[in-house]
Amino acid sequence: MGSSFLVRRVVQAVLTILLILVLNFFLFRLMPGSPERSITRNPNLTAEAKAELRVRWGLDKPVFPDQFVAYLGDVSRGDLGYSFKYRGAPVTEVIGDRIWPTILLFGAGEAIAIVVGLSLGAYAGWRRGGPIDYLGNGLSLVLYSMPYFVLGMLLLMVFSRTLGWFPTSGMLTSGASYAGPADQLLDFAAHFALPLATVSLGLIGLYSILMRSAIIETLAEDYVQTARAKGLREGRILRHHALPNAILPAVTVVAIQLGYVIAGAITAEVVFNWPGLGTLAVTALSARDYPVLQGVFLLLAVSVVVANLLADLLYGVLDPRVRT
Amino acid sequence: MSAGTAPVDVRTARLRLRARAVREFAARFLSRPDGLVGSLILVVFAVLAIAPELFVGPLETATSATGDRLAAPTPRHILGTDDLGKDLLNLTVHGTRVSMLIGLLATVITVAIGSLIGIVSGFVGGVLDAVLMRFADFFLVLPTFVLALILAPILIELIGAQSEILGMRVTLIVIVVVIGITSWASTARIVRSQTLSLRERAFVDRARVVGAGNAAIMRRHILPNVVNLIVANAVLVFASAVLTETTLSFIGLGDPFQPSWGLLLNSAQAAGAAGLGAWWFVIPPATCIVLVVLAFTLVGGALDDVLNPKLRGRR
Amino acid sequence: MTAPGTGGPPVVGGPPAVGVAAGRAGRRARDLPKLADPAAPLLAVDDLSVRFRLAGGSVKAVDGVSFALDYGEALGIAGESGCGKTTTALSLVRLLPPNGRIRGGSVRLYGIDLVPKSERALARYRWREISIVFQGAMNALNPVRRIRDQIAEPIVVRLGETEAAARRKAGDLLEYVGIPRRRGAAYPHELSGGMRQRAMIAMSLACDPAIVIGDEPTTALDVMVQAQILELFERLRADLGLSLILITHDLSVIAETCDRVLVMYAGRVAEEGPVGRVFTAPRHPYTQKLLASFPNIRTDRRTLDVIPGQPPDLREPPPGCRFAARCPAAMPVCTEVVPPEVRFADGVRVACHLYPPEAAATVPPVIDVTESVVGIEVQEA
Repeated sequence: MGSSFLVRRVVQAVLTILLILVLNFFLFRLMPGSPERSITRNPNLTAEAKAELRVRWGLDKPVFPDQFVAYLGDVSRGDLGYSFKYRGAPVTEVIGDRIWPTILLFGAGEAIAIVVGLSLGAYAGWRRGGPIDYLGNGLSLVLYSMPYFVLGMLLLMVFSRTLGWFPTSGMLTSGASYAGPADQLLDFAAHFALPLATVSLGLIGLYSILMRSAIIETLAEDYVQTARAKGLREGRILRHHALPNAILPAVTVVAIQLGYVIAGAITAEVVFNWPGLGTLAVTALSARDYPVLQGVFLLLAVSVVVANLLADLLYGVLDPRVRT
Repeated sequence: MSAGTAPVDVRTARLRLRARAVREFAARFLSRPDGLVGSLILVVFAVLAIAPELFVGPLETATSATGDRLAAPTPRHILGTDDLGKDLLNLTVHGTRVSMLIGLLATVITVAIGSLIGIVSGFVGGVLDAVLMRFADFFLVLPTFVLALILAPILIELIGAQSEILGMRVTLIVIVVVIGITSWASTARIVRSQTLSLRERAFVDRARVVGAGNAAIMRRHILPNVVNLIVANAVLVFASAVLTETTLSFIGLGDPFQPSWGLLLNSAQAAGAAGLGAWWFVIPPATCIVLVVLAFTLVGGALDDVLNPKLRGRR
Repeated sequence: MTAPGTGGPPVVGGPPAVGVAAGRAGRRARDLPKLADPAAPLLAVDDLSVRFRLAGGSVKAVDGVSFALDYGEALGIAGESGCGKTTTALSLVRLLPPNGRIRGGSVRLYGIDLVPKSERALARYRWREISIVFQGAMNALNPVRRIRDQIAEPIVVRLGETEAAARRKAGDLLEYVGIPRRRGAAYPHELSGGMRQRAMIAMSLACDPAIVIGDEPTTALDVMVQAQILELFERLRADLGLSLILITHDLSVIAETCDRVLVMYAGRVAEEGPVGRVFTAPRHPYTQKLLASFPNIRTDRRTLDVIPGQPPDLREPPPGCRFAARCPAAMPVCTEVVPPEVRFADGVRVACHLYPPEAAATVPPVIDVTESVVGIEVQEA
């Protein structure tokens, strides 16, 4: 792969992350309860006291570059401030053990959706027409129009409440003691099933529609006619000529949709009370715990940028035309 | 001048041509199943949004609640009641107005900003284009929902949660603004791309030769030719705006005095409706959301096909 | 013969080791299919009809077309866009879109009729007997696969050779068409239009076909590159003894490269015969008008002839001769009766009421319907 392609993409990603930090920095200053505002708005402080506090907190220095650089320094050291709600707890600590449940939910959901959704879509595009195609298309369209939490609530009502197959909330049964790790794993799996289904199904709807139209378009391309003229079988044409080309817009869309999926995953967590970043963000919101909100925003934003970068690089591997 | 032929007024002729174009478009659009079904659904919801009182009376509040708490549907309350005893049919119908209004305003803002930036950026080009598109790319990559999550409460506190603007509570205005701020980028990119290809066309050069300035060319030549694209895009933006508003309200950013469907579901979640099996609390607002978004998606797709037919097929 | 370099016309290598060159006159010494009849002509198309099903009805894009192709012969199919020439050629191997179907006639390759064969049976003849060089400006090469892999693909899949052997052959073929072997690792977008066209020609030779169909092979190429491509086609015939079917609207290409020409109009054959005869003394009014609309350096003709009107809508084809509406010599019978094809002693076949069947087996005078018939000069090889 051309090194300039690689370098360009990485530089863009770094710049974007920098912009995110700038944005976050300004939000940090704007938010209620920020040091600057708590000084300005406090009627009990004299002018001298205010000035002194400003100096002590480094607020007398110019915003750019001094305060901003100081902020960057804090962030790089992992100091994202302290939570309003959990008095005295550093934000990084509050966020810390909420990360992996979200990664698990999001990661597994995407993985399943990519495999199942793209395959279904490719098959539907290959064998278009017929009742299965229309049914599948309609179902996908409905799934795509449904916010994740709506889907989650429906699944909850049907499979948890009515059928009793799965528990309604949390990651593990609270207060439970397990005979062994296998039991704990089973309990975890039972709790994981519905949130995972929620995230996956919504994405499967989108990905299958996407891949179907990508395959249909690809099959109408001239090089597919060439492949047919060569006397190749339909299966080979699909695998070797159609799919490698149809996958390209799929990668692009997966990357573009990442932000949207995060929104969905957040709300899905809320429905099932899954102890991840989503529920954390929502409780922080209602408690107006801005430092925690900011921390979550920073983490998620940077993650999405990195994920986009990876998707870009993957696209470069798959499509030789962008490498020049 | 031959006797017997009336002088043809250019304006009348133009209007007549336009009327015919509109009629042809309507015929082609409504003959498609997705266009027809989508439009019908939207018309129904538009009617409900404009005059909810006509159908269910004034919005029930906690004090004017008429039913038992969280009661299943009965003949008197066809869709049951919520956890405060309010009639669900009443709440859902009134929620139409909030959801649709927010969606509409947010779409207007998004499309206005996006189109303006797209046209200017694509047409003027150069450094301005590069800078604007860097911005747009930034907003495209950013998980805008999370940004909205953090921006909204800050704005609400800054403005003051209790005040009203244009008869709408600040909370809702902020949601509209936040959706606009975070969604313009994709419209801008689409419009810019169309502007770029229009810019190379002959009529732009001709306009320049005659001495038209940039602004005039953009207004009189570029804009009419991107309108089709903008309209098709606006419909899809509307769908996305409704979804975003719903999700933001579900998280708790909505206004309890003007509840949208999303906020109804927030109340449902808070009351544990799903776990308790109170399906009547969940299904009506959920169905409305899905129907409206589906309808917009169908209409948007039909519009796109009719207004921007793609030439396909081999020789 | 050894002039490596990046500039100048590409230097082609010797004939590839993919087949036995037999020269123009003979047949290729290769395994013919089991059912082949050695005495039969290479290709005999008889009364071929192809129908497309459209939203507003169905269209007979090819209506009763017949022609033959002999070993080592080059046939050009000429006509304006939409006249059915491409459909005719593609339907030989049944490369039709989903709404197209062969509705009648026969396509005999070595005497074997391909029309009634099943899709699987027919696919065995594709590329191995008849291959196609598509228009270079099209997206006919897979953009995410290397050139040499695309050339090697049919060698591996259809001929059963190993990957390594196939890649070697692909390299040989590339060199034969004048592309350096190491360029085989390139992707289509890294090649110029001319090189892409050469690569496609190399690809078409991969399975040692008997017939190569060139579908507008020089359109969208600049004149210099056009000449090189045509020269390459000439070498294919000389070195490998291939037969060629060239589809083009550009008569000069046919004049330069082909032995015979088939002029089509609105799905039917207007005139067919040796290039020398047809182009210097065209009989059918359409052929005459077609030739007259080509500029010729040598005469002092000032205005180009233009054929007024449009080809007919084939959803509702007019009765009788399809050219009647635009023909300056149209007679009442032309709009009622389909003109029969008549073969004359000089080898030319015409379907026009101006040349009735009674004149068959003679050489009737040419009836000139234009102001003056300006033919294209044909180089005698």
